[in-house]
Amino acid sequence: MKKVMIVDDAAFMRLSLKMILEKNDYMIVGEAENGEVAIALYQEICPDIVTMDITMPVMGGIEALKEIIKKDVSAKVVMISAMGQESYVREAIVAGAKHFIVKPFKEDLIIRTLNSLS
Amino acid sequence: MTNIEWEPLLEMFIFETTQMLEQLEQNILKGEEAKIFDASDINEIFRIMHTIKSSAAMMQCLPISKVAHSVEDLFSCLREDKPQNIEYSILTDLILDVLDFMKAGIEKVSARVELNDDPTRLIQKINDRLYAIKNENGDGNKEFILCNNYRATIFFEDDCGMEHLRAFTLVHNLKEHTESMDEIIPSNLDEDKSQEIIKQEGLKIRFRSLKTNEQMHEILSNNPFIRDLLFEQILEEQETLNTAKGESYQSKEGGAEEENTNKTVHQNLISVNVTKLDMLMDIVGELVISEAMVLQNPDLTGLKIDNFQKSSIQLQKITNELRDIVMSIRMLPLSTTFRKMQRLVRDMSKKLDKEVRLITSGEETEVDKNIIENISDPLMHLVRNSLDHGIESSEEREATNKPKIGTISLEAKHVGSDVLIIIKDDGGGLDKKKILAKAKANGLLHKAENEMSDKEIYNLIFLPGFSTKESVTEFSGRGVGMDVVMRSIGNIGGTVSVDSKEGAGSTITMKIPLTLAIIDGMIIQVGKGWYTLPITAIRESFRPNEHDIIKDSENHEMIIVRGQCYPIIRLHELYKIHTKITDFKNGILVMVEQGEKSICLFADALLGQQQVVVKSLPNYIRNVKKIVGVTGCTLLGDGNISLILDIGSLIDFRNINLIKNYKSNL
Repeated sequence: MKKVMIVDDAAFMRLSLKMILEKNDYMIVGEAENGEVAIALYQEICPDIVTMDITMPVMGGIEALKEIIKKDVSAKVVMISAMGQESYVREAIVAGAKHFIVKPFKEDLIIRTLNSLS
Repeated sequence: MTNIEWEPLLEMFIFETTQMLEQLEQNILKGEEAKIFDASDINEIFRIMHTIKSSAAMMQCLPISKVAHSVEDLFSCLREDKPQNIEYSILTDLILDVLDFMKAGIEKVSARVELNDDPTRLIQKINDRLYAIKNENGDGNKEFILCNNYRATIFFEDDCGMEHLRAFTLVHNLKEHTESMDEIIPSNLDEDKSQEIIKQEGLKIRFRSLKTNEQMHEILSNNPFIRDLLFEQILEEQETLNTAKGESYQSKEGGAEEENTNKTVHQNLISVNVTKLDMLMDIVGELVISEAMVLQNPDLTGLKIDNFQKSSIQLQKITNELRDIVMSIRMLPLSTTFRKMQRLVRDMSKKLDKEVRLITSGEETEVDKNIIENISDPLMHLVRNSLDHGIESSEEREATNKPKIGTISLEAKHVGSDVLIIIKDDGGGLDKKKILAKAKANGLLHKAENEMSDKEIYNLIFLPGFSTKESVTEFSGRGVGMDVVMRSIGNIGGTVSVDSKEGAGSTITMKIPLTLAIIDGMIIQVGKGWYTLPITAIRESFRPNEHDIIKDSENHEMIIVRGQCYPIIRLHELYKIHTKITDFKNGILVMVEQGEKSICLFADALLGQQQVVVKSLPNYIRNVKKIVGVTGCTLLGDGNISLILDIGSLIDFRNINLIKNYKSNL
């Protein structure tokens, strides 16, 4: 079972992602509400996959992504973006994110995306 | 594959693949000879392998397809890398192995036997070779050289959003698998408008990668957002075609048109079952006979029927054309057969450690398909013999001041209505003493040794159960040698003769008829009987002047024409026919030739020219008595039977008689 860490400042988002993923045999091993927490948590729990929101307080998703990749080049990070964040998405991809999912997301698309990473 | 609908496709596949394999073999041998494969050879081999790979895969011949695939890899390396250090002979051996494997496979396919050959070892060998070539020519960018060219058109899921960023992600992620990204359409993925373009037309990319087709396809289809994926590998030719025209991949229509014109060219060729052709030939034969039956119907004699004559000329013209076309359909050049010999000589000279060169000429000579099939084996046997028994080892050759490299020449040419195939070697020649000793030991001698001419001695080797070579080798000399050759050539109405010079080599000449079916004949009359002469053999016909006729001491008649002396055969004497015309001034002389020899036949009258369908003599006649100078018979329009004369054996007969008489008079 794949270990997933969810990074999002909105609890609703974290919950809905968690429900979708757990239903599909993913194990949620950690949740972070901003980039800083995410970086610390990543080193601690070493998840297989990270879902990363882009806009978050304290530290944004892009910055967190860059830090995580710096520490682990093979990190599999999927960005969760909203409409209109094209330039961020591009930056994230260049920085090493594997895929991005656009909110509002559909269950099967998320699962397929995560499945393709394993 | 047992499915009936596959049948035409399968035949096409077999036909085309066989042709390509032969072509390939030729290229390979050519390359080895020159010790180099030039760029066009390599391209050609690459292309052929590529074609075979895909068509074999289509026909479920996976072993063939797999092998073709690895050869393709190997040659794509040669093509891109142009390595300097290639062991040409190893490479050639390897590719020839591949050819043999494929040929065996195709044979199985055509016999409708399940193809279960295991290609693993061969593929391993090919890959090893590739590895070795790469190593021996070790240079830094060798990986780039093996790049495959791909292009893909990708449509993303409808609801995935931000298509241009999906594309951006995909291209970005693809980078770790590709060597270069050559083309991306739309080109600017940053612009928002490309989102619409990708939605409508998809993302089109062209790139180079080391990964195989399958690997690449898997990587691409692993992307979760892709709805539709069109993925293909690009061949070099296609690519240059497009770039040369300054077209991008976008101009799909242009490419499609190109393909269409190609297809129409291809469809100008169809393969036809040979049995159908045989049937067609038979029917045309019957048509020729019935045409004669109608036009020469006895009921018509004495009638004044001008219009009928006109129409009949038209009919004759058409049947002639029809016959010519049917015959030409069945004609094939000997080149295929000769090519097989190239391969044979190459393989054998390697194994026997002799240096031998095969020179072929006249391979464009065409003969009937049936005949080609029948001469292939005998020819192979003869070439083997020349190589194994004829050509000496390099040391022996050097000791006798001969060029180190032995030469076997294979020549085909038309002589009248026959084709001569001459196999000549510059080897040791036939050893008369050995032949005689061997013939004696096997009880094959029926004549005193000192009475035999050289030719008679040489002809002993055609007797069943004769073999001078003490040791039986892998290639020849199983003791079933020359008599089998003789018999199979005899079966198609041909003859084999041998000539030899001790120390200088031997020459074997096969004379085979061009076609077995219909010939243009001249009908001549002798007494009440009608005979047919092949038109092609006739040089002239004339009524002789009495004073041109001379006789030798044995009362053999001869005639002097333009200073040359020709023997005369009186057909009525030869066949013991009673006729009133025995005087030269009442009959006619027909001069016929065969090869370089000519002879005059004395007949009562010429009756006219006619196409005749050659039928072999019925067994009950052939078995009872061998009639001199008759090859077959034919049915004439009025239902009469006419015997077809064989010029060659008439000439021989005359010569033998001369010798016989000469000897008995001594």
